[in-house]
Amino acid sequence: MEASLYFLQQVINGLTIGSTYALIAIGYTMVYGIIGMINFAHGEIYMISTYVVFIVIAGLSMLGIDSTAFLIVAALLVAIVVASAHAFAVERVAYRPVRGSKRLIALISAIGMSIFLQNYILLAQGSRDKAIPSLLPGGWQFGGDGFAVNLSYMQVIIFVVTLVSMTVLALFISRSRLGRACRACSQDRGMANLLGINTDLVISMTFVIGAALAAVAGLLLGMYYGVVNPYIGFLAGLKAFTAAVLGGIGSIPGAVLGGLILGVAEALTGAYLSTEYNDVVSFGLLILILLFRPWGILGKPEVEKI
Amino acid sequence: MKGKLLPAFFAAGLTLLLGASVLGVQLQSQGIDTVVMVHGPLTWLGLFAAAVVVFAYQLIKGRVQRVREKARQGSRFRLPAFLENPAQRRLMIALAIGALLLFPFLAERSAIDIATLTLIYVMLGLGLNVVVGLAGLLDLGYVGFYAVGAYTYALLNSYFGFSFWEALPIAGGMTALFGYLLGFPVLRLRGDYLAIVTLGFGEIIRILLNNLTEITGGPNGIARIPEPSLFNLQFARRADEGYTSFHEFFGIAYDPTHKVMYLYILSLLFALAVAYIIYRLMRMPIGRAWEALREDDIACRSLGLNPTAVKLSAFTIGASFAGIAGSIFAARQGFISPLSFTFIESAIVLAIVVLGGMGSQLGVILAAIAMTLLPEIAREFNEYRMLLFGLIMVLMMVWRPQGLLPLKRPQMELKRG
Amino acid sequence: MNTIMRKSLLALAIGAGMTSLSAQAEITIGLAGPVTGPVAQYGDMQFIGAEMAIERINAQGGVNGEMLKGVKYDDACEPKQAVAVANQIVNDGVQFVVGHLCSSATQPASDIYAEEGILMITPASTSPTITEAGYETVFRTIGRDDAQGPVAGRFIAEHIKPENMAIIHDKQQYGEGVATAVRDTVEEAGIDVAVFEGITAGQQNYSSLVSKLKRENVDFVYYGGYHPELGLILRQAKELGFDAQFMGPEGVGNPDISKIAGEASEGLLVTLPQAFETDPKNADLVAAFEAKNQDPSGPFVMPAYTAVYLMAEGMKATESTDPFEVAEYLHQNTSDTPIGEVKYDESGDLEEFNFVVYNWHADGTKTKAETGEAQSDTAQ
Repeated sequence: MEASLYFLQQVINGLTIGSTYALIAIGYTMVYGIIGMINFAHGEIYMISTYVVFIVIAGLSMLGIDSTAFLIVAALLVAIVVASAHAFAVERVAYRPVRGSKRLIALISAIGMSIFLQNYILLAQGSRDKAIPSLLPGGWQFGGDGFAVNLSYMQVIIFVVTLVSMTVLALFISRSRLGRACRACSQDRGMANLLGINTDLVISMTFVIGAALAAVAGLLLGMYYGVVNPYIGFLAGLKAFTAAVLGGIGSIPGAVLGGLILGVAEALTGAYLSTEYNDVVSFGLLILILLFRPWGILGKPEVEKI
Repeated sequence: MKGKLLPAFFAAGLTLLLGASVLGVQLQSQGIDTVVMVHGPLTWLGLFAAAVVVFAYQLIKGRVQRVREKARQGSRFRLPAFLENPAQRRLMIALAIGALLLFPFLAERSAIDIATLTLIYVMLGLGLNVVVGLAGLLDLGYVGFYAVGAYTYALLNSYFGFSFWEALPIAGGMTALFGYLLGFPVLRLRGDYLAIVTLGFGEIIRILLNNLTEITGGPNGIARIPEPSLFNLQFARRADEGYTSFHEFFGIAYDPTHKVMYLYILSLLFALAVAYIIYRLMRMPIGRAWEALREDDIACRSLGLNPTAVKLSAFTIGASFAGIAGSIFAARQGFISPLSFTFIESAIVLAIVVLGGMGSQLGVILAAIAMTLLPEIAREFNEYRMLLFGLIMVLMMVWRPQGLLPLKRPQMELKRG
Repeated sequence: MNTIMRKSLLALAIGAGMTSLSAQAEITIGLAGPVTGPVAQYGDMQFIGAEMAIERINAQGGVNGEMLKGVKYDDACEPKQAVAVANQIVNDGVQFVVGHLCSSATQPASDIYAEEGILMITPASTSPTITEAGYETVFRTIGRDDAQGPVAGRFIAEHIKPENMAIIHDKQQYGEGVATAVRDTVEEAGIDVAVFEGITAGQQNYSSLVSKLKRENVDFVYYGGYHPELGLILRQAKELGFDAQFMGPEGVGNPDISKIAGEASEGLLVTLPQAFETDPKNADLVAAFEAKNQDPSGPFVMPAYTAVYLMAEGMKATESTDPFEVAEYLHQNTSDTPIGEVKYDESGDLEEFNFVVYNWHADGTKTKAETGEAQSDTAQ
């Protein structure tokens, strides 16, 4: 009984970790689906969102506002706006000019942008870690003899929000006009252009949506972990990108699935092996899956046109 | 003009929003509380000024672009005409090599050391150029091979006392082996899948080196790695047993700069050798096969080339150059640790290849010089150094995506229509 | 074309290097450490300490009639940049260096400084290998990993006597070094370490590790590393219902940890060098820091201050700016500094660097652990 409770706890931990990767991975996968580039700066958008969340929460608390709900909603809205603004600007400045060139060029531009944003925030906000107290502490506890499983409110919220975001986004892509335009652009941009779709706007909107999700991730994780520094974006972004590729890049459910699998794999490695080999197992899993399914779990095999 | 007002306002507003959110307010720690400090009027004035500048730029953007188009059609960054002639080219290269050999005797220690580091990056760039530029395989984990080369030398030295010259061929061989092994899983992958798997490999190597503290020293690294000797002469104040020290042998005063100069000359010779080897390989069937693979691998297959063999050869040969560069790096620094082999290093080498113009050796050399010197020159700017570095990476891609000296092959294209 | 470009780039580099040369009648002290990079916050501590010392010494007339000047060099805690910085310092003719911060940066740089006869005092590098080469001009104003670890280890063995102990580190040089030293001391005393593992610094989710420790019924955890990670671990431990006693080295003894972990940081044990900022002798120095809105309690602030102070003392006493003479002076004399009495042994380590065990509180303050002070060995 104890062993299975422990397993359950670690799976819960893993799903939480995985959800965080999933939220950021969606941003990667959407951008890749549309313009075929790896947006390395996406992790930094998440980092900037977290900073904005902290600023709003700390700022409003300073003004004496206490209501948790208000703080959360305000932080979310401001973070979404600021993150989208940043993503929009980054796309215009660093990616649109290189859209016609080879994908390697865009990759280097993205990496340069990532370094730029990290150091920009470092200079603007300082190098020290900043922290805020937990807004929604507490949770449920169950299980009895031997091992008590803890499930905190934040863990549930993070998981639920991830699934809800994925569903909302999937519905949006399949039902709405902009969603249809997104799909058209990702299939054949030239054709979409010819049919009168404003591809520039669609691409910008894709970045904005991805950034909005990153902002949600920033809020949730900011509340959950409570710490921010200019370097959290890099590691999170790398893992999220791995998750997106694992799930099949270009597929939103794939990104979420990939994220969850990666998160659970990490948690279980830490649980039964050693936390030192977390990343080795993550990458190893990725390599293994890509060996047998080179287009990711939910990806579609690319048909090469001659 | 009118149609431009709205976008201009939008751009200015965006600038203000971006600046206000991150630059206008700052999170600060007071005791154990976190507070938000609003910056003084000077910062806001600056932000406003920036918004105005952006506004103005948006209005005149059309005109600026037209001017740039005209300018671009005029000049082209290309090799001066007199270098097209092969005999004159050889003369220029000989002169350049002569100047490089003379350089250490004229410059001071720090400049020579930076030059050595540049040469190491030149080797890395040329090696990655084989994989990415020539064969078109997007490798984001090149730093892993670099690490294998460096650690092979360091470990052989600290466990078995191998000298640099004894360890070098082994390092090259080990790295080539790793390149071969890495090649297998990635055979079927394309584009960005290949990128992330190679990145994974690079990270796995680094993490293993960091975790296996018993064997590799873990985060403590390996220290006191000796430099290469020159036929039993060591460049130290007091030589070890079995060796004579350089200054004693020649009867001159001890100068620590001699060691640095020797390392530089050695790196120069290696870099030239690497460049020459790749130059020859490019003109041999194997080099042609790489480029064919990059252009169209289905056509390759239909012409009877085995893509597996071609890919593996690219990985193996490219990796071995990284191994040699790694050993020299270990010797130069005297200390290695997993900290030196992070993903950012891969990114920098990749940027060198892309900036140089994929496939072009000369371009890669120039790009390596630029990318290594840039952070050093920018030391003047202290804390803005890395910021500028990132910015320049972006700008280089936006303004010159084809690279500094894109490789031009004699080619013929069918004119359509 | 390429030659011209190469030459002009080289000229630029040389020119850039030369522009940092200091003016006459000034003694330049190089301040080498991370200005950028993930550990820039610790580099800051080093810089404020050193710069405060330079300011105060200059205010009192400088050294031998000359003013001190501090020049910052950024190594981003990376060995490659540390070597470039060291060479730059050699080029610039600087003969005194306070730095570097990270042991992995100090290691290769110290080789170069020793070769060129430059005096280097590191206020933060704790790896024992730095002074093992026996360089005459390399010193420390901080304890070593193998001095701090045993203090904690003995405290654990004598006062805590845990039933099930775990040692966690962050896989970096400082953290793993201290953790290994603690493990060795504790195992010698007969205590069995149930879990010895490393985490990845910068990763934020440690729930997997915490659940594992909970499962193993660990009642005591020693963490080797810095405050950001331990703060997160404490916070997540509380949420996951893991209730153990935690202990850490000076890297975690930072008020920020109470900010991050809140209530969970109450009762944390920390080995710290004596709190120099509470020493009444240093009262006006502390006031000077606070007047500038700087925090003097960071673990590397006072040691950096002391490094500059010692250099100045040495120069005044020997009336010269020759690093070898100053080094000899330091080896042979005892000085009274803000970090207490400083006396060096042959290899450049402090003969006595006391680590004290403190109880940390949720409001960021600390009190000495009730079971009394523990003294460190002289450095091996």
